[in-house]
Amino acid sequence: MSFELNKRIIAKRPPLPTSATIDPVTASIIRGAFETVCFEATTRLARAASSPIINQSNERNATIIDSNGRLAAVSVGVPHLTFVSQLTVRYGLEMYDEFDWGPGDVFVGNDPDYGGGHLPDYNVYAPVYDDDGELVLIQTLQAHHGDTGGKDPGGFTLEATDIFTEGLAIPCLKLVQRGQKRRDSIKLLERNNRFQTFAGDLAAMIGAVQHAVKLLQGFIRKWGTDKARAAINHNIEHSERRFREEVKKWRDGTYAADVYIDHDTLGTKDVKVHVTCTIKGDQLTVDLTGTDDRQELCGVWNTYANSCSYIMTQVSASVDPTIVKNEGLFNSVEIIIPENCIAQPPDNKPAALGSFHPACEITEAVCVALSQVAPERSAPQVYKIGMPNSVIGFGKGGKIWIDQGVDARSMDASAVQGIDGWGSSCVGLGNLLLSEAEDGESRFPIINISREMTIDAGGAGRWRGAPGSLNVKRILEPTLAIAWMVSSSHPLSGMRGGDDAISYASRFEVGTENERAIELSARAQLPAGAVIAYQHGGGAGFEPAVLRDPEAVKEDVLDELVSIAAARDKYGVVFDGTLEKLDLVVNIAATKALREEMLASKDKAA
Amino acid sequence: VSQTDRVVYRIGIDIGGTFTDFALLKGPEVILYKNLSTPDDSSIGVMTGLAKLAELEAVTLSDFLGRCDAIVHGTTIADNTLIQMNGALTGLITTEGFRDEMAYRRGFKEDVWDVRLPPPSEITPRRRRLTVPERILHDGTIYKALDEAAVRACCSRLKQHNVTSVAISFIFSFVNPVHEKRVAEIVAEEMPGVQISCSHVVLPRQPEYDRTSTTIVNAYVAPKVTSYLEQLVRRLKEAGYKDQLMVMQASGGVMTVQYIEGAPVRVLASGPAGGVIGAAHVGVAKGHPNLLCVDMGGTSYDISVVHHGEAPAEAGWNMHHRYLVGVPMVKVETLGAGGGSICQVKSGALEVGPESAGAKPGPICYGRGGKQPTVTDALLMLGILSAESSFAGGSFSLNKDGVVEAFEEIGRQMGYSAEEAAFDCWRVVNANMSQGVRRITAGKGIDPKDLVMLAYGGNGPAFAAIQAEDLGIDRVLVPKASPNFSALGTLVANPSIDEERSYISPADSVSGVKTLWQELEERAEKYFADARFPADRVTAKYQMNMRYPGQNWSLTFDVKTTTGLHDLSFVDDTIGPKAIEAFNRRHMEEYGHVREDEMPEITGVRLSTSVETPSPKVLAGFTSLVAAANVAKARRANLGVGYQMTNIYHGPDLRPGHELIGPAIVEESFTTIVVYPGWKFRVDDAGDYELNRAVAEQ
Repeated sequence: MSFELNKRIIAKRPPLPTSATIDPVTASIIRGAFETVCFEATTRLARAASSPIINQSNERNATIIDSNGRLAAVSVGVPHLTFVSQLTVRYGLEMYDEFDWGPGDVFVGNDPDYGGGHLPDYNVYAPVYDDDGELVLIQTLQAHHGDTGGKDPGGFTLEATDIFTEGLAIPCLKLVQRGQKRRDSIKLLERNNRFQTFAGDLAAMIGAVQHAVKLLQGFIRKWGTDKARAAINHNIEHSERRFREEVKKWRDGTYAADVYIDHDTLGTKDVKVHVTCTIKGDQLTVDLTGTDDRQELCGVWNTYANSCSYIMTQVSASVDPTIVKNEGLFNSVEIIIPENCIAQPPDNKPAALGSFHPACEITEAVCVALSQVAPERSAPQVYKIGMPNSVIGFGKGGKIWIDQGVDARSMDASAVQGIDGWGSSCVGLGNLLLSEAEDGESRFPIINISREMTIDAGGAGRWRGAPGSLNVKRILEPTLAIAWMVSSSHPLSGMRGGDDAISYASRFEVGTENERAIELSARAQLPAGAVIAYQHGGGAGFEPAVLRDPEAVKEDVLDELVSIAAARDKYGVVFDGTLEKLDLVVNIAATKALREEMLASKDKAA
Repeated sequence: VSQTDRVVYRIGIDIGGTFTDFALLKGPEVILYKNLSTPDDSSIGVMTGLAKLAELEAVTLSDFLGRCDAIVHGTTIADNTLIQMNGALTGLITTEGFRDEMAYRRGFKEDVWDVRLPPPSEITPRRRRLTVPERILHDGTIYKALDEAAVRACCSRLKQHNVTSVAISFIFSFVNPVHEKRVAEIVAEEMPGVQISCSHVVLPRQPEYDRTSTTIVNAYVAPKVTSYLEQLVRRLKEAGYKDQLMVMQASGGVMTVQYIEGAPVRVLASGPAGGVIGAAHVGVAKGHPNLLCVDMGGTSYDISVVHHGEAPAEAGWNMHHRYLVGVPMVKVETLGAGGGSICQVKSGALEVGPESAGAKPGPICYGRGGKQPTVTDALLMLGILSAESSFAGGSFSLNKDGVVEAFEEIGRQMGYSAEEAAFDCWRVVNANMSQGVRRITAGKGIDPKDLVMLAYGGNGPAFAAIQAEDLGIDRVLVPKASPNFSALGTLVANPSIDEERSYISPADSVSGVKTLWQELEERAEKYFADARFPADRVTAKYQMNMRYPGQNWSLTFDVKTTTGLHDLSFVDDTIGPKAIEAFNRRHMEEYGHVREDEMPEITGVRLSTSVETPSPKVLAGFTSLVAAANVAKARRANLGVGYQMTNIYHGPDLRPGHELIGPAIVEESFTTIVVYPGWKFRVDDAGDYELNRAVAEQ
């Protein structure tokens, strides 16, 4: 049963046995070398891969795991995936003898019920042995693939009833046996994927991991196994100590938050994530008890490993970013997730869309809870996007193409204390390179009509969220469009009295008599010339809008991020002059009076 | 006319943060000189240095300049404008619907863990990013006509904002620039005197963010770069220089001021490019075409790779001062590890850099008020540098006051002595640099152990051999000119123009490439003629950019190389298959596989043109008689294996054939070379230095 497995794989692991002592400088040099190996592995993958999702979008992570299954070092593409990879490996390690581990082996795993995230995230990993044949490290490399061989191209199926609808699930499969590629295993994986380019991508992953193993063997030889182990122990303890020092500065107490998903993929409303963060001295506990566990929910099941990773992503964002990311962070946090809830599903639940929602609502709820103690770092590391308008068609010779709609845009870039939301999304997604009109239009039969930020589409606040963008496209050939709409009735939460972001919205066949808003989901054949429009929710605000410096509001009005009407209604700022003449001046007396009135009526309402 | 009257000079000038460097080429001889930079008006430092060189040559300045047939200049003015954010008040006119590409940055943020990462300061805040109805599609057809009334309305709005420089960037303008050209005309009418930068001129390629960003940066730096260059040209002319001033570009080539003024963004990051070009020249002359070039100065450690004697310019994702600049640049990666990098303990861990004490206040040992210990201070503690020896060409001496105390404080926090603390700082900065090199070579698929290291910059040779050892490299070159390397590089760099035009079509349909190459030839011919180079002296590389469907980045490869322009007879029926074959070869080289059953697509044509000009000759070889060098003195120093009495050699005393074994230190006027234990140091016939790993020799 996977609950039993989950308990075993999440259990805290002891330090490595070693007789060596280590000084902090040598330990950090060894850590740096590990991180560089991870970087080399991801770089090699990017250079050799043939799919855009791997060679451009940077959605790939490499980690080094120690022989106790602990996270020893990372190189990051996306933080949300950082804390998953060791759990897949821990399952593999459990089966060490049965699966006949040995030098030169390479494995792959992607199974949500065996420590994985969702099926598209293939985790390719390989053991590193020293010259005495002792297991020292495991190199992992994880990347999101464009397809998983399930019902729908791309791996996301709205009405998936179980994991088998979504494609091929792999708990742990050997791809290379003692240095020899297993053609039978590789062929099986290639056959279960719609894209020709997958074979090249998989080969690139194997090659990159093998290269990293070679480098690590060299380092182990240079330092010796004992010294390397001492360094890992030191670095993990150091991160834990630094993390606990930060937690200790936070006020003791219990801080709870509720965040809702509008509905599951079949329309069951208000799916709830409840988080309680408890701080006692230097101990942080994150408890998801109270989170939705209705078994009939569809599409909103997030695997246990993923839930842990998304919690850790927000927790890591809440502390000094220079704390080195490794098992020390995990050791510092107690995570409680009830069995059978949407954050720790029973066996065989579908997992693909869960990596969006509730994964991001878990992250968001942790952020809301911790904003009460760590306001200066409370920016939700989320993508509240649902499943945007993915467009699928067939080109010459029946070759499938998918425009997954990862276009340049603005979404969910929330403010944090002292800094307005900026850029395209939260910092955690800052490694992804979004698609451009001139790329997409050279490749797919589409025209990008517009993707500007919408005025007043950022959550108001003392610090303002970045406005969300309205992305409008025309499709030139008949195509299938798939969408799942969320974050409309429950948009991204504002922090400490800041306004929520605006609602997401999606419309198909804009400007025709068939124009319609997508309320829940869609799987529609669109005619040539159809226009689809997707309004992103934007970032949320931080602290009440009436506290914003009126001069900053004026700058926003000049930049047409905030309208004069919203300046008055949301921020309580009154201007003399006009935007047209660029002679706007804050009317100080009128602003003061209006703000007092707004605060009074708010008090009354409260 | 006497013999000396006929001497012809060429001068390379590179302006750095602290020093302005000169390399004077006089026949086969190179004379190096440095003086302090004058940041308020860099041309003053340039003119002072030129006067000094004239004095050294015992001629008047006008006589001296009159005999120069080339002055080649590398400038940091564009970089400084971006660092200080004091460029022109810039506006953008772009396609309706695409106002905010600059704010999105394609999603890019510099640190995925730091939620407090501040936004970059905006060259064009939203109020100055305006849009007009117009649209061109990927095949160049006009989907929506240009609304000229809207353009005029934009102009009046930008005038209201007092904009002095306008960037114009439309979707697919690089395929069909008709709308951009028309808008430029209207802006010139409506806003007389403003600087205009069109994206189809500055960076005629996709995608829109890359092109728009580059055009905006161009608009921002253009007025400063242009007025500075014009000022320098005027001063040089007044002083007697009759020829064209040639300016270094980030691509590693030089070109006339008129050409640069077409897209001044080309001079961004040109200083480091000069150093790499110089390194490639020296490396090839010494028989080492594959180099790892490391330049460690006061604030940074610059790393680059020379492959087959070349440092090709790449036009990829080049982020400069938080702005994407897409013009071809010689790839130089910068780490925050220099002599001024600050050493400190943070939460129990010892960190070195990236914060730097800079030139002011500088390291504690400069005695200019610096209080935080730096790498240079650590070198002083280790005995690698000495307070008794002259520093920076004798311009000042180092002072140990306060240095020991600063390292004692680090030692107190780490639980050991000041000397141990200094040694650990040395270890940490070494490790940072090794990891930096590994990351860069990994990105290129190169194993550093197959390279020869070439070290320059004031601090490079102090760390070179230990770095090399870490990376498995057996040989290190330290040219005598290493402290003036960027200036030397400007002399080595050839006049060149490297431009491309976008052209998107399947690889078997090449009908349009000839016209585009012709267009590029015409531009090259015009600008080379301005620089007084006839077309028959121009070497032309006709190149294509290609990719497989689905790939985002294209590969550039040579289709044909000719001497002289206008011979396009090779563009016949066979060109398509030949190009596909060349692309597949290049793809195999770069990525290790080809997709046999897929038809690649052309994304653009490129023409890379250059003219050979005289370069400093570099001698190679070790034919001189081997002799032991004379020890000047000895001092206590720690070269990685504990403190011991270490021999010190005086660089200017060393002659070809001299040889010595580490541990030893060689003190040069502007640099210090450390011969680590296990390394051998030799002087070659040219007086340049080479270090070899003794073990590798056996």
